[in-house]
Amino acid sequence: MTRPLWAEPIEALAPRLRARALSPVELTRACLDRIAAVDGRLLTFIGLASDALEQARGAEAEIARGEWRGPLHGVPLGVKDNYLTADMPTTAGTTAPGIAFPRRDSAAVTRLRRAGAVLIGKTRTHEFAWGNVTPPVRNPWALDRVPSGSSGGSGAAVAAGLCAAALGSDTGGSIRMPAAACGVVGLKATFGRVSRDGVVPHSWSLDHAGPLTRTVGDAAIMMQALAGYDPADPACRNEPVPDYGAALGRPIAGLRLGVCRNHFFEDSQEDVERAVEAAIRHLAARGATVVDFTIPNLRYGLAAIFAIELASSTAYHDVSLRAGRVQHYTPDVRQLVEIGRFVTGPDYLKAEQVRAVLMEDFRRAFDRVDVIVGPTTPITAWKVGEWTARIGHRDESVLAASWRFTFPYNLTGLPAISVPCGFDRLGLPIGLQIAGRPFEEATVLRVAHAYEQEHDWVTRMPAL
Amino acid sequence: MSEPPRPELVRDVLGIDLPPERLEENLAAFARILEEIQKLRALDLTDVHPSIVFDPTAPYRREPGP
Repeated sequence: MTRPLWAEPIEALAPRLRARALSPVELTRACLDRIAAVDGRLLTFIGLASDALEQARGAEAEIARGEWRGPLHGVPLGVKDNYLTADMPTTAGTTAPGIAFPRRDSAAVTRLRRAGAVLIGKTRTHEFAWGNVTPPVRNPWALDRVPSGSSGGSGAAVAAGLCAAALGSDTGGSIRMPAAACGVVGLKATFGRVSRDGVVPHSWSLDHAGPLTRTVGDAAIMMQALAGYDPADPACRNEPVPDYGAALGRPIAGLRLGVCRNHFFEDSQEDVERAVEAAIRHLAARGATVVDFTIPNLRYGLAAIFAIELASSTAYHDVSLRAGRVQHYTPDVRQLVEIGRFVTGPDYLKAEQVRAVLMEDFRRAFDRVDVIVGPTTPITAWKVGEWTARIGHRDESVLAASWRFTFPYNLTGLPAISVPCGFDRLGLPIGLQIAGRPFEEATVLRVAHAYEQEHDWVTRMPAL
Repeated sequence: MSEPPRPELVRDVLGIDLPPERLEENLAAFARILEEIQKLRALDLTDVHPSIVFDPTAPYRREPGP
């Protein structure tokens, strides 16, 4: 059965666009029509580019002249609304008066334009990327549930076929959590791999930029365009960019698959645990060697990320805090910005010490393994307005639970991907997280791709 | 018996001017986070260098990208 254009991954669209068997205008129109048909219920886009079709016509003309720029040429993408854009306003999800952002392209947006992408609009973010609910966005798999966040607009938009892929940002899991909740792929690369220049800061040493996509192959395509040195981001590293696509399709036999049995395997919903254990067995059956280990110091990770994230965010918002502008923030974000003042200087530095300890612990683990696998989140998408989720025989705060497995890779800066690995008994998507050594995104993609190729999760679309 | 801290002292120490009831609310919200942070405070990390490393050469290293 032929799938509609809006349901196709970039890896299937690109050869057709290049061969002129598909017009970027037709593809962009399909996405805009899809947005018109379903986004009134999902609310993923905060604004659309008035020149989307014009961009598509430009791409079409270039391809016709033989000036194909690569697999993103003529492909409609969404941009999380905390990335600056010259042609569309940026709000970072806030309506607080007195806060305005420059009209210029962020580095990632510049790179996507250079790759020929059609940037069709800005996707909603939780205010200042400080939260995991992303109101008012709804989850395409169940409209009464959240898409998670903070890149919830991007996750829901990609899952619903409103754009082929989208940019997200990830400070404690904000690319990978909505990817898991919405049944798409989300890649947080190594800290320093993708420039954050022009991304509204949340926490300087935790923020990562990256893509949410329909498939692992699409994530490789997006990374190829996004990765690279940028002196405008002080954290960006001048490391060679490999050919990410070349890693895909290589067998995983012989790879050592690390399973960190503490922290990442404590207190997940039963269906999540079952799906992830099945995924591990599948990878083992393909020849990967499973190596169990523990990192006991992860018990201090939550304290460390709380201290760093709160202190950094409050420092960023300090002028707004003193000027009283935070009273116009949403109540949850206002409170987080205010309570960052309670984190002391020594708390912050002890958090950075714990971070050094954890980085060393993970380095030692990576002496014995090539990737680390586990659940992306312990829970599937929860209902709008609910603040606790049932895990086993107890209720846990969704805010505490949702980022428990993702934040260690923000603290350590390691690359980590979330790839769909099944559905729970309510039909809600589950994510498998695969992490790697610094700048080994190719290995992470390779394992994720090997898993994805033998399952049909990514071909399923929510009924809208 | 000692006096409770003056509100202006709290304001100056925290660098934030909040009405007492708002401050109470925030302290209550911080309690869960404080539980975690107390685990940090209890750790002996005397010999661990923080992950932040001061680099005076950073402003001179703005080489062009590849």
